[in-house]
Amino acid sequence: METKQFVVIGIAIALVIAVAAPFLASGNPDGLESAFFSIYDAKPFMGDELDEDAAGAAEEHAAAVTGNEFAHEALMPDYTIPGLDKTGEVLAVVIGTLLMLALVYGVARVAARPDN
Amino acid sequence: MHIPDFMFPVTQGLVYWVIALIFILLALRWARHSMGEEKVPLVAVLAAGIFAIQALNIPIPWGTSGHMVGAALAAIVLGSPFAGVFILTLVLLVQGFIFGDGGIVAMGANIINMGVVGGFVGYYGYTGIRKLTANSFAAAFIAGWAALFISAILCAVELAIAGTFPLVPGLTFMGTYHAVIGLIEGGITAVALYLIASARPDILEHPTGVSS
Repeated sequence: METKQFVVIGIAIALVIAVAAPFLASGNPDGLESAFFSIYDAKPFMGDELDEDAAGAAEEHAAAVTGNEFAHEALMPDYTIPGLDKTGEVLAVVIGTLLMLALVYGVARVAARPDN
Repeated sequence: MHIPDFMFPVTQGLVYWVIALIFILLALRWARHSMGEEKVPLVAVLAAGIFAIQALNIPIPWGTSGHMVGAALAAIVLGSPFAGVFILTLVLLVQGFIFGDGGIVAMGANIINMGVVGGFVGYYGYTGIRKLTANSFAAAFIAGWAALFISAILCAVELAIAGTFPLVPGLTFMGTYHAVIGLIEGGITAVALYLIASARPDILEHPTGVSS
């Protein structure tokens, strides 16, 4: 397989995953969040009932412990475009995938340039 | 496993950022000396694929989900732990700044956990296990699993130092969830390696024995 063909197929696979991800992805908390909520009694260790109030209190408590009040306003928080529902989620992941492609291509091109 | 800012004190975040920057500089040095311009499009595609598949949270038991990290795959395919650091640093920058996934203060720790541990455990796990088993895909599976599991263990230790998690429950909960999530990492690492080895065995730094 030629490089061009490999790259095109690779991009196609990445985009198919990007479009499918918002429909297939689980809404459950990830491993770190689950551990956090379980430790703060907002969710059973081996169960799936999340207590939203306890979860919020846990986040406030952790922020008080670490004293870190820094907050960054992301452009597309949680892989969504605010106000666009499912379309926004698909667009967000697709935009992110294309952005990654361009960013890594650019950085890698500059970085890979030999010293001489 | 992206640590958000509220779980991490600022001073500790800066310490991890300094350590992460050392690895980022080494990764840039690797890119300059070893990446080669012909690999640039392949590296970009690999990074795009890793970003997309990270957005796919797969359900695991206990009301929890897990997703791939991909540093082990990058390190195995490109033949250097620093390939994992290089790609994951850029992935985590975009995830943190654009998508609010993972903190900015905590990003240094996230780069260490996922990029550095993922890259080093992935690469040396793969090359080491491959010598023992003589099966590249079994080695990729185990290395992918171990990369994710050890990242999670380190993350639990960091959060214990931060005061966010007590040490023993932190290790138990993070370890249990990520022992399962590691199966996703290992499985996708092995399958992706197989697909790349089938399509383009020449780009692999270490041949797998599959021919196109």
